[in-house]
Amino acid sequence: MISIKNLTKIYRTPIRGKHFVTDLFNHHYKKITALDQVSFEIGQNELIGFIGPNGAGKTTTLKILSGILYPTSGDAKVLGFTPFDKKPAFLKQIGFVMGQRNQLIWDLPAVDTFVLNKEIYDVSDQDYQKNIDDLISILNCRDVIDKPVKTLSLGQRMKMELIATLLHRPKLIFFDEPTIGLDIFSQEAVRKFIKTYQKEFKSTIILTSHYLEDVKRLAKRLLIINQGKILYDDDLKTILEKFGGGKYVTVMLEKGVDQNLLTKIGAPITNQFPKVVYRVKRSDIPQTINLINQLLPYSDLTVEDERIEEIIKKLFGK
Amino acid sequence: MKNFKLFFLFSRNALRTTLQARSGVWFFMIGKICRFAFFFLMILLIFGKTKIVRGYSLPQMLVFYLTFNLIDTTAQILFREVYRFRYQVISGEFDLTLAKPFHPFVKILIGGVDFLDLLLLIPYLLLTLHFAWQTHAVTAFNLVAYFVLLFNSLLIATAFHIVVLALGILTTDVDHTIMIYRDLTGMARFPMQIYQEPLREIFTFIIPVGLMMTFPSQALFNLLKPSFFALAFLISFTMIFLSLRLWNAALKKYQSWGG
Repeated sequence: MISIKNLTKIYRTPIRGKHFVTDLFNHHYKKITALDQVSFEIGQNELIGFIGPNGAGKTTTLKILSGILYPTSGDAKVLGFTPFDKKPAFLKQIGFVMGQRNQLIWDLPAVDTFVLNKEIYDVSDQDYQKNIDDLISILNCRDVIDKPVKTLSLGQRMKMELIATLLHRPKLIFFDEPTIGLDIFSQEAVRKFIKTYQKEFKSTIILTSHYLEDVKRLAKRLLIINQGKILYDDDLKTILEKFGGGKYVTVMLEKGVDQNLLTKIGAPITNQFPKVVYRVKRSDIPQTINLINQLLPYSDLTVEDERIEEIIKKLFGK
Repeated sequence: MKNFKLFFLFSRNALRTTLQARSGVWFFMIGKICRFAFFFLMILLIFGKTKIVRGYSLPQMLVFYLTFNLIDTTAQILFREVYRFRYQVISGEFDLTLAKPFHPFVKILIGGVDFLDLLLLIPYLLLTLHFAWQTHAVTAFNLVAYFVLLFNSLLIATAFHIVVLALGILTTDVDHTIMIYRDLTGMARFPMQIYQEPLREIFTFIIPVGLMMTFPSQALFNLLKPSFFALAFLISFTMIFLSLRLWNAALKKYQSWGG
């Protein structure tokens, strides 16, 4: 469905000189490599989590894949099309949700944008009604579609944005930070929506987010990008096995114990009574638990994988 | 056909948005009427002192001025959205237009028809026909030539606006380039004969605002050579072609600002 090879995008940005008057006559630019020989493939019905720090190249990749930006070099094929050709047959099959942008007409009810998109995407009256009903029912937002957009909360606007983008049932959807700025309830609603939508309509989805929770909850495959290069492209589970060197053992103590006793098990990474946390190699888990049973009075004991946030931090550190 | 339907929907939404700000509607209309009335008065004052200016009578001079207003107002009616293009570029909303299956011009060039200006067009047209009739030089053929050249002027206006959009992508500046366009076309409120050479040639053929604003009226008074008629279309088509080339080049350079 998506195949990109050696995709490179270089932005040219002006450099401010020492004096604003001489700047008018001497233009200097610097080149910023947003994508550097990026290659990957994505198959049908996949839901990909695409993460990286600010300026890593996530949004640039999505914009090239959707035909908004022209790549400096490399090949991109999406649904059999070259995106920048902007063929209507291609654009009708994609949808782009941008968390920080909106397509809704500010002064008018969201339903006016839906009607406009119905014409833009050549959706039949029958399909329009069915798709709108389906989306409204998943998002539970029937009462807001007739209210002017400017009167809606951010969460409600995002729901309207999702309907506007998806009412033509795109095969491929780009979600660029769809939960940014939303409260935890709205974030949860958007996550739930994406999961339900993908399950029901078998779309291919690429999701970028700063909230790792979004990716952990939704994606099976993870693409990690930093400084324009792909650092990781594999299953979400595999990253834990490959790069997660250990597990976290959390002990909730019943009563205070001597520090020497605690260090007999290992050096705790957190020690705030009653909570003590150890980072332990996978192979040492049985031995550590035995020791804890013998030495510590505890009310609760949990063993967790290393947090994905930590693993990704380590990857970026490389 | 689809683009016409979209144009209709964008225009309907633009009208509904405009009508949200009622006091703004009245101030806008009063401002436009005042500006038109002051220029009209100025012409009457000039002709109160003399009968002929550069070979043109009062009704002819009024037709030149009204024709300028017809073209200028029609361009503003159609291309109002261009004035909002900078915001779309710097906010990144233009991205969403590019990701949709229609030609972006339907939205960013003609997607915000200004219905307030449309109301002013009717008196301009009636007054033009009224004063044209007073010149006693108007024939059916001249009238057809006049309207054909008005259409040609709109092609030139379209090319100018496409250039403004392309420069908007390349520099994120729209306000200044559109003001340059407005100032240049404003030089052609009156016939080119009021300028000395080489200004007259420059304004007629190089920056073809003279061709755009005064050729239609000259055709109406049967003062335009047939070769100039053909030249007018050659220049407008060349401008459209070049502006589209610039637009396509600009799209390749688009950097998508705003994150």
